Amino acid sequence: MSSDKTPIIKMQNIEKHFGSVIALAGVSVDVFPGECHCLLGDNGAGKSTFIKTMSGVHKPTHGEILFEGKEMHFADPRDAISAGIATVHQHLAMIPLMSVSRNFFMGNEPVKSVGPLKLFDHDHANTVTMDEMRKMGINLRGPDQAVGTLSGGERQTVAIARAVYFGAKVLILDEPTSALGVRQTANVLATIDKVRKQGIAVVFITHNVRHAMAVGDRFTVLNRGKTLGTAQRGEITPEELQDLMAGGQELVQLEGSLGGTV
Amino acid sequence: MSEAAQSTPVADERIKEISALRKALIRPELGGIVGTIAVFTFFLLFAFDSGMFSAQGAMNWSVVSAQFMIIAVGACLLMIAGEFDLSVGSMIGFAGMMIAIFAVTLGWPVWMAIIVTFVLCTAIGAVNGFIVIRTGLPSFIVTLAFLFILRGFTIFLPQVIERKTIIGGIKDVAEGDWLAPIFGGKILGGLFQWMGDAGLIATFTRGSRQGQPVVDGIPMLIIWAIVLIIFGHILLTKTKFGNWIFAAGGDAEAARNSGVPVNKVKVLMFMFTAFCATVFAVCQVMEFGSAGADRGLLKEFEAIIAVVIGGALLTGGYGSVLGAALGALIFGVVQQGLFFAGVESSLFRVFLGIILLGAVILNTYIRRIITGER
Amino acid sequence: MISFVKTLAMASVAAVPMAAATTAVAEGEKYILVSHAPDSDSWWNTIKNGIALAGEQMNVEVEYRNPPTGDLADMARIIEQAAASGPNGIITTLADPDILSGPIQSAIDSGVDVIIMNTGSPDIARELGALMYVGQPEYDAGYAAGLRAKGDGIGSFLCVNHYIVQPSSSERCQGFADGLGIDLGTQMIDAGQDPSEIKNRVLAYLSANPDTDAVLTLGPVSADPTLLALEENGMAGDIYFGTFDLGGEIVKGIKDGTIEWGIDQQPFLQAYLPVVVMTNYHRYGVLPGNNINSGPGFVTADGLTKIEEFAGEYR
Repeated sequence: MSSDKTPIIKMQNIEKHFGSVIALAGVSVDVFPGECHCLLGDNGAGKSTFIKTMSGVHKPTHGEILFEGKEMHFADPRDAISAGIATVHQHLAMIPLMSVSRNFFMGNEPVKSVGPLKLFDHDHANTVTMDEMRKMGINLRGPDQAVGTLSGGERQTVAIARAVYFGAKVLILDEPTSALGVRQTANVLATIDKVRKQGIAVVFITHNVRHAMAVGDRFTVLNRGKTLGTAQRGEITPEELQDLMAGGQELVQLEGSLGGTV
Repeated sequence: MSEAAQSTPVADERIKEISALRKALIRPELGGIVGTIAVFTFFLLFAFDSGMFSAQGAMNWSVVSAQFMIIAVGACLLMIAGEFDLSVGSMIGFAGMMIAIFAVTLGWPVWMAIIVTFVLCTAIGAVNGFIVIRTGLPSFIVTLAFLFILRGFTIFLPQVIERKTIIGGIKDVAEGDWLAPIFGGKILGGLFQWMGDAGLIATFTRGSRQGQPVVDGIPMLIIWAIVLIIFGHILLTKTKFGNWIFAAGGDAEAARNSGVPVNKVKVLMFMFTAFCATVFAVCQVMEFGSAGADRGLLKEFEAIIAVVIGGALLTGGYGSVLGAALGALIFGVVQQGLFFAGVESSLFRVFLGIILLGAVILNTYIRRIITGER
Repeated sequence: MISFVKTLAMASVAAVPMAAATTAVAEGEKYILVSHAPDSDSWWNTIKNGIALAGEQMNVEVEYRNPPTGDLADMARIIEQAAASGPNGIITTLADPDILSGPIQSAIDSGVDVIIMNTGSPDIARELGALMYVGQPEYDAGYAAGLRAKGDGIGSFLCVNHYIVQPSSSERCQGFADGLGIDLGTQMIDAGQDPSEIKNRVLAYLSANPDTDAVLTLGPVSADPTLLALEENGMAGDIYFGTFDLGGEIVKGIKDGTIEWGIDQQPFLQAYLPVVVMTNYHRYGVLPGNNINSGPGFVTADGLTKIEEFAGEYR
């Protein structure tokens, strides 16, 4: 599905060194609009460093980033956000004590002029929030409902809906399902599917092969700061992905004794 | 909680009914409103004919409450932004002393002394903020340091310059100044004179002011309190910046990720707190005509107590300026009212402790409802 | 919400009996004594006992009020409040005329009689229209003590000021220096209110200035830790030690010779007499024609028995 388009973001031979530690040793990944690109890897494989480079938090030591065909140098995350690269963090960018609507527009508050004053347009914010959440399949009690009362999955969905509403072209999801139950995971995966169908490129970071297989179009496995290649959906089995992540045979042996449940 | 999203419309109705009550419960002003009603009921029952609700008595607790309100507004916004300022009390003493030194010792015009003091004190507030932001130290440690530093200067400077710890004579130099009445003046004098003449309020029975009403106007202190409350309330609930204040205190990291300039918000709130403390100091100095090294002792805690009674969370991210104002009113009315009710004044602290404890327990309960913790 | 209301309800239930217990309702006259002293200053206990005894003997209602932190601006509010509650008279200290004159003047003008006690001066009492001044003029007392010390051959001293923000404290030290005929300079230290801090500051000063002739303390708050400091560095009994005001430890110090003399301003009289004077004035219209000086009286090792018995209570 992706071969007839140009990638929206292309990371070529990215290297990132922290002092003497080489976190990324030449990783190349491209992401197309409307695809869900799964980035898999065990803890410490370099996933976080890689997405932080993609979202402008780190500058690559070597290598280049092409965004919509042009070479990009992000000075800070704000550059990346304004270019259309949004990150939904593992530790959510949501504030539990604040209402959904206040959270939704945090940092992008709509204003209306009342005389000489520029006031927060709560009516607009509330309407938009309710609409966008309904599109994602979440019926809020009201826009002033505190985020703290939402489930983990719903919070992820609010964060995703927010990024989409504010014009994200590339959506980076950092382990969105790692702390969720089965049902909530299903909801988040359904949300990812909805977002992908709107033509947004989704970068889905996970170490759970099942979750990746459920929505992924392509799969890239990171291991010890290197990529072990990108595979199309249907070209690879969950077991192979698991092996690649573990980077060897140990897990296969382990898996045998566990009866294939990992 | 998650049922709400996934349940059928029929179940939704049931949830909504509960939420109406809960919605009322999670308003941060709730504790303040209930407390205010309770406190006034108590004093109307036990102290009605004691002079507490005469013009003089009412003005007394109003002025004391307004003082608390002025510093509570600043402390409230700062606490919602996730920080404390323990240097408020020392700042009050310091600001007053600076005005006295500028206006009396150095002989500057009073308006200039006031303006320079405002600039100086908000700058110190900014320094507080920058140190907290840059070092990442807890703000109560940084501002505790300033509590001592500022109090030390407030005692040291007048001793070195004037060889005493109280500098007076500000009333004389403020005579005819255009800015001083905005802090130390009174308004609606005509209305009160009319009320005095009409026998609605008591008048002086002897001395040079015989025939004049015992309360001869509304002090600007009260006007400042009202203006600051309205400003703080609009800023917090109705503006973009208000959303940033909540965000900065709710979770600074999450707010930064969403593009909220957290550092700027916090520094500005430290400056605003210092500004409020300076307003307090200028009003006091202009009313009493002198600045003393002991002014404002423990006021930082009184501000924080008012804010907590008013429903703000000590952990930040939640609270209300109106609530803090009601907290200040409760504080002021209880402090002054216990005397009228004939309660031994040393028991005031017992009451304060009980109210504070009650308010904190209530706040914790509210937070559990909001965040869905069990 | 429920817990909050409950708390308040409990508080109010608890308050009513206490309110009844602490104010002895009597023949109607009500007098309020307002001081500038912070809660931590135990010297004022004598004052509290003084008005309580006067209230009992004269059968009037008395009340003691003070700003908890010693903040004079808070004290001004307390005077306004006292006036608003409509008492027959207010007995107040006048620590800073700039702040307190206004509220006191308003109280007088609204028909409440006022007696100035302790700090203040006969002049300001007359100026404001107060009935009288009862107390010890602080500068004069310090000056008299200075003259006495000069006669004993003193040429330098340390003034341990535990209440530096209160102008009359500094006046005592200034008066003492002037009585000695020397410049006060850096001989006055800001000791703070904490006993161990006071002790350590005195130790530090005396080890830095070992040839200091005398120590002057301004009351039990500074005298008690100073006694400990002198015992610790061995100067007790050797250095010339004078103090303002009396207290249990001070009396012991005078008795065993560590303290040369104490200046007794007899605070009991400052609290007791105004109540008696005002009650008689309000009942029978009689008023003494002059101010009352309750001190200074020098207390030395001679004739300490009565003082010892009542030190800290009525003396």
